[in-house]
Amino acid sequence: MVVEISLLVFLFIATPPVQGLPQKSFGQIVQQADAARVADRTNDAIALYSEGVRLRPSWSEGWWSLGSLLYDQDRFSEAESSLKRFIAIAPKPAPAYAFLALCEYETHEYDHALQHFQAWAREGSPGTDELIDVAGFHWALLLTRGGRFPQALYLLDAKAQKLGGTPALIEAMGLASLRMPSLPEDYPAQQRELVWLAGKAAYYASAHEPYRTQEYANRLLTRYGGQPNVHYFRGTLFAFEKDRSAEAEEYEQELKISPQHVPAMVELALVRVYQERSAEAVPLAERAAALEPKNSRAHYALGWGLVDTGRPQEGARELERAKQLAPDSAAIRFILAKAYRTLGQKEQAKRESAAFLALKDKQEVLAYSQEKTRMPKQSGPPKQQ
Amino acid sequence: MIAGIVLSVVAVAGSAQTPSSAHKTASTAKTGTAVPAASNFEQLSKDADRAREENRSDDAIHLYQRALVLRPAWPEGLWYLSTLLYEKERYLEARDLLRQFVAIDAEAGPGWAMLGLSEFQTREYSRALDHLQRAMSLGLGGRKEMAQSVFYFVAVLLTRFEQYNDSMNMLLAMVKSGQQLESLVEPFGLAALRTPFLPSEIPPDRRDLIRMAGQGALAIEAQHQDEADKLFSGMIAAYGNEPGVHFLYGAYLLDVRPEDGIREMKRELEISLSHVPARLRLAEEYAKEEHFEQALPLAEEAVKLEPKEPRAHMMLGEVLVAKGDLAGGIHELESAEKAAPQLVRIRWDLLRAYTAAGRSDDAKHEKEEIEKLNRPGASL
Repeated sequence: MVVEISLLVFLFIATPPVQGLPQKSFGQIVQQADAARVADRTNDAIALYSEGVRLRPSWSEGWWSLGSLLYDQDRFSEAESSLKRFIAIAPKPAPAYAFLALCEYETHEYDHALQHFQAWAREGSPGTDELIDVAGFHWALLLTRGGRFPQALYLLDAKAQKLGGTPALIEAMGLASLRMPSLPEDYPAQQRELVWLAGKAAYYASAHEPYRTQEYANRLLTRYGGQPNVHYFRGTLFAFEKDRSAEAEEYEQELKISPQHVPAMVELALVRVYQERSAEAVPLAERAAALEPKNSRAHYALGWGLVDTGRPQEGARELERAKQLAPDSAAIRFILAKAYRTLGQKEQAKRESAAFLALKDKQEVLAYSQEKTRMPKQSGPPKQQ
Repeated sequence: MIAGIVLSVVAVAGSAQTPSSAHKTASTAKTGTAVPAASNFEQLSKDADRAREENRSDDAIHLYQRALVLRPAWPEGLWYLSTLLYEKERYLEARDLLRQFVAIDAEAGPGWAMLGLSEFQTREYSRALDHLQRAMSLGLGGRKEMAQSVFYFVAVLLTRFEQYNDSMNMLLAMVKSGQQLESLVEPFGLAALRTPFLPSEIPPDRRDLIRMAGQGALAIEAQHQDEADKLFSGMIAAYGNEPGVHFLYGAYLLDVRPEDGIREMKRELEISLSHVPARLRLAEEYAKEEHFEQALPLAEEAVKLEPKEPRAHMMLGEVLVAKGDLAGGIHELESAEKAAPQLVRIRWDLLRAYTAAGRSDDAKHEKEEIEKLNRPGASL
């Protein structure tokens, strides 16, 4: 997915240039710069905007236009500087955060890029459809790189529903599905087939095409069944189909290959709870919570298992810990309410039930993240500052 | 293989004039072999050129960098420095300079070519493909080796982006232009097996399969039927359960022994349940033999599996028209035409269907479009 968004959609229509004046005032430069931009004389426009912001550094539109033109020429480092100046002085710079993040992605300043995607999301993810698609995609790539795979897949899934299975999207889904903390441009070339097969299976699962999902998931198993994360990924595909037995089998296989695989332990524990085999769930979840004490889902699985095996006091404690780590998770509140009811703590149960009702329409995948991700939502173009 | 091609590109790029006709190469001047302490632009640029011509590339890089500090938009400096950096495998730096270079001269095909090649090396494949294709459309100023390299990289990138037919067409054009065949074996094999990998991404235990497929495809192109038969038989014997191999063999056999081709296509569909091209080739063969009842479900499945694939709609349209369902057939053919207006076969199908339906104005329009598409220079 090449980032080729014309930022010019954000710009206002310019007036014609004033010709023949011996000296250029700031006002004349503004007019000529805008005219050059509208006439696609990009290099002239860049020179004129550069001159304009040199004369008047508080000219926010100038920084924005300069940044946008440099961005369109893939001159990301230079665009980044202009966009930073724009953000520093514009009263409502929200869309510029996304462009700045995209520039920082290109200049490999990944931590800054993540921060600016988050700043953009906090402002409601404004921008055109194209900006939202490109920014959301690159944000997902960075989430994958940072090991936040469910959040990345959540964003990619939304793109898949909208855009279909483009090769770039399939590659990104493959990396996130296999829990590979890499960008498409930096994983080993020899893993291309592995990533592609997983990406295809993930995409078809997202597109609700179970036969094609199975076809690629089986090819993945045949070729790479001994690789870490492959069985875990297949387990998540069976979870999609609510095939609990097959799901559990895959997690067990994963744990044979990767004995410390916490997500496989947690998901297997939850499957056992769903299957009313909570006694088997508890030791798995205990181990997962011990390995990753800040994993809210591990505490959730453990709490639920304890409640279902007649240890509501301990269960409530684990669920309270889970709630502390993921306060927006409706599922945790639901089981916590159950635990309080079992303990006869009616008021607390009522409070948690109310919280569950308030939260239940929120996306669980986001609620479980320690740092909340917001889904970009569509909005109109930003107003010129 | 790729390394060899890249080096030849750099050799050509570095030794040639800057690609823009608007910028003349800076004249050379006498300087010593050591890096001088020159501080003005004229002197620095002359010293840089001299160092480059004397193959003192480290000195040349240093001097071009200093000259560009004084004059950042100096096209010759950007060009030579970027090619020198590329040669030293400093691709990120080369890429950034080339972006500045093409921003100054957006019509310089070789500039886009070098930029695309740099982006290939930094694994920005989508951008690389865009920029290499742009270089092709602008032209490369008679640089034959560079053109061959650009074609090669475009072809392998098209395969990686699952545009197998376009890739195959480019590879065939390269064979016809006399390109060294050995360098094309793996790209042909990957495209023929519809495997979206670069040659460098082939898993070690699949290289043999890819090479057999590529050699077989090249044998077909050279009309060496016995050799193709032998290679494909060997491929089936060694890799008979792998996706794609029966489709490739079947596609070949449909032209020479259709019954065997049908058998291979059916085998492919047992292995690759959702293989759309196998369905389409099989449907086409059945339609050719006027077995429309067998062709119809295959074409319908293909449309269901790939609703955006114009060839699937085309095939379904052809079968429906042949079965006498003119309205249904025209509907499918119009869907196909909307998705791929440049495909002449769809236009011919529609011309015949409109004529049969008594829609003479529409038929006339299709005829005019066919004539336009068949004009020399029209893209097919």
